[in-house]
Amino acid sequence: MSLLLWQGGKGCNFYKLVEHYQGIEINMGNRKTKTERGWALQGENSDIILEMKNITKVFPGVVANDRVNLEVRRGEIHGLLGENGAGKTTLMSILYGLYRPDEGEIIFDGEKRVFSSPKDAIESGIGMVHQHFMLVNKMSALNNILLGYKTPGDPLLDYEWAREKIRSIIEVYGIDAELDERVINMSVGEEQRVEILKSLFRDVKLLILDEPTSVLTPIESERLFQALKRMSEKGLTVLFITHKLREALEVTDRITVLRKGRNVGTLITKRTDEKELARLMVGREIDMKIEKKGVEAGKDVLKLENVYARNDRGLMALKGINLSVREGEILGIAGVSGNGQKELEEVIIGLRPVEKGKILFNGEDITFSSVRKRTRLGISCIPENRIETGLAPSLTIEENLILRDYESFSRNGFMEFDMIEAHAEKLVEEYGIKTPSTKAPARTLSGGNIQRLIIARELSRNPLFLIASQPTRGLDIAGIDYVRRKLISLAEEGKAILLISEDLEEIVQISDRIAVIFEGEIRGIFDRENVDIDRVGLLMSGGADN
Amino acid sequence: MRIKVERRLETPKFIYILIPLASIIASLIFVGILLFLIGVNPIDAYSTMIYRAFGTKFGVTELFVKTAPIILTGLAVSIPLRAGLWNIGAEGQLYMGAFAASFIALYLSPPPVVLPFMVIMAVLAGMMWASIPGVLKAKFELNEIISTLLLNYVAIYWVEYLVYGPMKGKEVYNFPYSDLFSDYAILPRFFGTRFHAGVIVAFILAIAIYILITRTSYGFAVKIVGANPKAAEYAGISRKKIIISTMILGGAIAGFAGMMEVSGLHMRLRAAVSPGYGYTGIPVALLARGNPLFVVMAAFLFGLLYVGGSAMQTTYGIPVAVVDVFQALVVLFIIGGDFFTRYRISFVFREASA
Repeated sequence: MSLLLWQGGKGCNFYKLVEHYQGIEINMGNRKTKTERGWALQGENSDIILEMKNITKVFPGVVANDRVNLEVRRGEIHGLLGENGAGKTTLMSILYGLYRPDEGEIIFDGEKRVFSSPKDAIESGIGMVHQHFMLVNKMSALNNILLGYKTPGDPLLDYEWAREKIRSIIEVYGIDAELDERVINMSVGEEQRVEILKSLFRDVKLLILDEPTSVLTPIESERLFQALKRMSEKGLTVLFITHKLREALEVTDRITVLRKGRNVGTLITKRTDEKELARLMVGREIDMKIEKKGVEAGKDVLKLENVYARNDRGLMALKGINLSVREGEILGIAGVSGNGQKELEEVIIGLRPVEKGKILFNGEDITFSSVRKRTRLGISCIPENRIETGLAPSLTIEENLILRDYESFSRNGFMEFDMIEAHAEKLVEEYGIKTPSTKAPARTLSGGNIQRLIIARELSRNPLFLIASQPTRGLDIAGIDYVRRKLISLAEEGKAILLISEDLEEIVQISDRIAVIFEGEIRGIFDRENVDIDRVGLLMSGGADN
Repeated sequence: MRIKVERRLETPKFIYILIPLASIIASLIFVGILLFLIGVNPIDAYSTMIYRAFGTKFGVTELFVKTAPIILTGLAVSIPLRAGLWNIGAEGQLYMGAFAASFIALYLSPPPVVLPFMVIMAVLAGMMWASIPGVLKAKFELNEIISTLLLNYVAIYWVEYLVYGPMKGKEVYNFPYSDLFSDYAILPRFFGTRFHAGVIVAFILAIAIYILITRTSYGFAVKIVGANPKAAEYAGISRKKIIISTMILGGAIAGFAGMMEVSGLHMRLRAAVSPGYGYTGIPVALLARGNPLFVVMAAFLFGLLYVGGSAMQTTYGIPVAVVDVFQALVVLFIIGGDFFTRYRISFVFREASA
């Protein structure tokens, strides 16, 4: 079935031929005509605020965007869905003026635009909330919002005027933040709200959110969605970048799916489902169900007794943690990041001193043991921050694969290069690390392959215990599947695994027991059989358990 | 036309060779302009330099004599640089080595073992001097660039104080010199020139350090700390130990350079033991990207400049300071050239069709 769609906009009209098939609109091309305001099938509010046409961006060796067309209607929540490396971020960076496209044009709010810097984009009415927030930690929320903005009476700052304006924004959209609080003391959710306020304060017409829920609790995510819906009701347009199907389905009006740098379809959310989106996104049918068989958990491998530790700022980040991880089980730590997970990871591998309490490994007290000693005892770790902690990006793949055991690859203090090379060849093969050479620098690997490299290194050490921190963050569906299966098979071999993840779904899917961490305390531990997700969610956000 | 600047995903290998070469050439051109402005034909000046260094036996041996301390200070900068530390203090470490060696030569040791004893004390003095910023960095994160730099002045003025005061010689007619060392305290010389045994030791040390940092597990640990200190901690490498040990190793080599200069060339302690070899080590290490074998090559370039610089002074009356100008330019160009390892620049002659 195909039908002709006329859409009218202010000052410029577009004639569109739209292929309509099973809810997928495939954009066949745009032609300008002199037609008067057209007969719009979609109603009055369907005029187009943003059109990106034939956007192509080539990086050396990679076509990041290949003739991408994107069309966003005024007042809608438009999802941009795609796996890692599909070109979502590149496309948005072009829109936000961070990159210049090699080809193609951008029509925003009825005019052809060339953005050569984010400043241009902001001035035209485009705001972006990045995945990693761009706030100055030591300044208050108010000052962050005002940063670079000229209030009336410039060069003097008119705080009263600004407060008044922010107050009215808060009232209209319901996005709240403590204006006088310094960012450093804020939770991630709050920081995000400050970022959004920062954009709204600049009267944006289009707000881009890059993977906004990756750092939020389920409750905070829900709150964000409510706010987004309110924004769209007030006429603001939202571009929502995500790789999570469920979110895209829950919050958007339409979804554009990118795959390998191409637009593979724009769908109306109501007329599609998870299965179709997944197929478009990955390009094939995928089975997303993984189950871990319940195992008889053995003896305690790692035991934390009343552990206290401070964070980098000297504040107590772990407040009396009691945990034990047993042979053959995966213990999942659920919680919003910043509640002590990083400190927990570091305390266990020996990077952070323990203030009080005891850590036992197979009954041996390792509270004050060095990182090296613990590594030798059989503690492996997939660190939360893979590139910053887990890897030396400028060194070769070979070298990174022996990073934690380099001394066992040397004889009398001299490195055994043949052994190192053979080791690397074997692991690259076994773990499917895609690289032209084991002597290429590790930074040339894609995110998924970096994770494979780290997994290869940590598992090839044949550990007794593995701590996996955010092991699937930023990976594509295939990568996530790979990592989860690896963890399960490792546990089935009888190894003990501590899984720290913000992805509650992941924790529930593969953990045998689930512990909830909040503000440095374990607020509850559940067996998988009788876990109540609502209660876990409540505990994650500090609700009392009763 | 517009200029397009793009981040590189991967840096081609040739860039790493091209940047130092281009930096050297650009510096030569700039110095040439400078020479032209003060009325010297740069081509004549450069050919005089080359002739002086390669044309005579004296020139060639002098080239080696000037290159040797630069190799050593280049190594003294390179080793900490591989761990991500800037040792700006090779000059001070050299002076402390010179002081310690002279002290032994003049006052302490019995003749037959005086040379080895001088070496040991000079190395220890250099190590001690370098350990101060090393420990401060490891324990308190004190910026090593500042502490090493400031300690240079302490060391230089300490030696100056000594040669103007307590250690001033009895037969030097008020010059800021100590007395001459006894023959036992002087390095053997060859070919009837100033080519002394220290030159050979400098080359051997460069090879030894090359093996240490590219072949051993210690070298690997240093490399990891330099590449990513956080990953090093996570790999169980003590960053503090690497910081202190690389600084001390650098200091030891610079200390030996000080001994070599007083015992091989000056045969006494004097105020200007070094014309700034410690600072020359910085562009040398940068040009060599921390690789000891390339340090030798880069050191030859600067050795040539020192030999040629003094030739230009005698022939054209150009101050030797022109060598410092050249050094500074090389550093600036290399730091600027780093941009090209991360970005690619292309010229687009027509606007991409919309």
